[in-house]
Amino acid sequence: MKIFYLIKEGFKNIWTNRMMSLASVIVLVSCLIITGAAFLISFNVTHLISKIGDDDQITVYLDYDLNDLQSIKLGSQISKIKNIESYSFYSKEDALKQYEQVLGNIYESMQDDGNPFGNAYKVKLQDLSQYKNTVEEIKKIEGVSAVSDRSDIAGKLTKLNYFVTIVGSWVVLILALVTLFIISNTIKMTMYSRRYEISIMKSVGATNSFIRVPFVIEAMVIGLISGLAAAGVICSVYMPVRNAAAGIIGFIGESTFTVEQIMIPTFIVMSSAGLLIGIIGSIISITRYLKKEGGEIIGW
Amino acid sequence: MKMIYLENVSKVYPNGTEALKNISLNIDNGEFVFIVGPSGAGKSTFLKLLIREEKASFGKIKVSGYDLMKIRRGKIPYLRRKMGIVFQDFRLIAKMNVYDNVAFAMRVIGTPERAIRKRVKEVLELVGLDGKENRKPSEISGGEQQRVSLARALVNKPDMIIADEPTGNIDPELSFDIMKLLVEINQTGTTVIIVTHEHDLVKEFGRRIITIEDGEIKSDEKYPTKYHRTEADKK
Ligand SMILES: Nc1ncnc2c1ncn2[C@@H]1O[C@H](COP(=O)(O)OP(=O)(O)O)[C@@H](O)[C@H]1O
Ligand SMILES: [Mg+2]
Repeated sequence: MKIFYLIKEGFKNIWTNRMMSLASVIVLVSCLIITGAAFLISFNVTHLISKIGDDDQITVYLDYDLNDLQSIKLGSQISKIKNIESYSFYSKEDALKQYEQVLGNIYESMQDDGNPFGNAYKVKLQDLSQYKNTVEEIKKIEGVSAVSDRSDIAGKLTKLNYFVTIVGSWVVLILALVTLFIISNTIKMTMYSRRYEISIMKSVGATNSFIRVPFVIEAMVIGLISGLAAAGVICSVYMPVRNAAAGIIGFIGESTFTVEQIMIPTFIVMSSAGLLIGIIGSIISITRYLKKEGGEIIGW
Repeated sequence: MKMIYLENVSKVYPNGTEALKNISLNIDNGEFVFIVGPSGAGKSTFLKLLIREEKASFGKIKVSGYDLMKIRRGKIPYLRRKMGIVFQDFRLIAKMNVYDNVAFAMRVIGTPERAIRKRVKEVLELVGLDGKENRKPSEISGGEQQRVSLARALVNKPDMIIADEPTGNIDPELSFDIMKLLVEINQTGTTVIIVTHEHDLVKEFGRRIITIEDGEIKSDEKYPTKYHRTEADKK
């Protein structure tokens, strides 16, 4: 009975202060969207990097005029380098075959002597952080003409991820503070507009925790609504944004999360973040308000 | 038994105003006390000390068994549940009807709704407002509004009623009725402390009259009245 009364009071507060409640929902939603976006970008980039790491085979191109036997000998040299996990031979025939479809009729004429490809090795590394050194060592081997280098992309993504993480953390921190400020101000306004009632409550012996509950509930509801709205917005724009990004950089398409994968965590995290901010923000402002010793029973 | 006990109590406000100077007095269970004196004498300050709205600067002060110099903040609500406070401006919530204004005082201390219904009906009858439960404060007279506020002060069965100029905002004839009601409440054993400067009322109902002037007790006298009958008179 008592708790129903308090919850009802909480909802009444929201309705009485609907303009302020709406304003704080809007600000909170914006903050949560930006925060959520920062998190999602960071997660996806991390995921992307690990995916690239997974199939991060280096292709070692051999000199064009090396025959198969020479090539195999060279392979055993590659195997001696530390940090090589596995390597496999990738013959010039294999390379040409990849283009069979594209080449069509010309394909036949390109067999044997007409093959523009040289032999190659696909090499997998144990420790990706040693990437540069290992590539340098492979390049030193006699008969190696070139090494495909994806370290560029990996390096750039790592930098991007670092950037997103650092900037994202700051953005999140600042927004969290802004949000706390907004919500505690909303609650302060509610308390101010109801100070008369609060003073009567105090004069008849209501405890501070009892007085506090409706305001905490108000803030929790605002927080929860904002969290759900933010999650809804994020999930509905997620795929279009991802597809647009994939349009620019192809492999983003396969190497990032789908909306189905992020939906439930996003809703859970956003609504709990909203709730938490509501609880903390309101408790801060209420405690400050109720702590004043004198002048509680206003204007007497 | 002593309901209220003050010994050498002084109150200095943060701005340096010395509102009460070295006050000592006792009020027993069941007394009916007027506090009188000119404006700015320290009457309201005295009441604020009793309800622990303000803390005394020096001295000893005990109310309803609580030592108000040592009471913890968390215990103050329980001290206030032992007293019913009546304000000059009634302090009613405009959007609530008469019933809810009174029930409010029970709801906020967590009383079950069934007990609330029973008790609110009782006190509204006592103050003569039965039948007006659904009126808003704006739909009743000043005297009736003060009855609502009195009902709210009584509803949690306090040991004492503390009223600061309860008749300051209502017509003299209605003031008389409010006073009679307070005497009636007092007859059931509730201690009543009233601040007023209405001489007619004091003359008519004054049982014990404490005069405060410039923060000091000027006089403290007891009189017989036709309204207050002692236990012996009743027989
Ligand atoms: N909160 C306060 N801060 C400073 N001075 C105050 C405060 N409240 C009352 N006073 C001063 O204390 C004195 C006594 O005030 P009060 O107790 O309200 O008198 P009364 O109720 O007898 O008119 C007055 O001089 C008043 O100005
Ligand atoms: Mg006064």
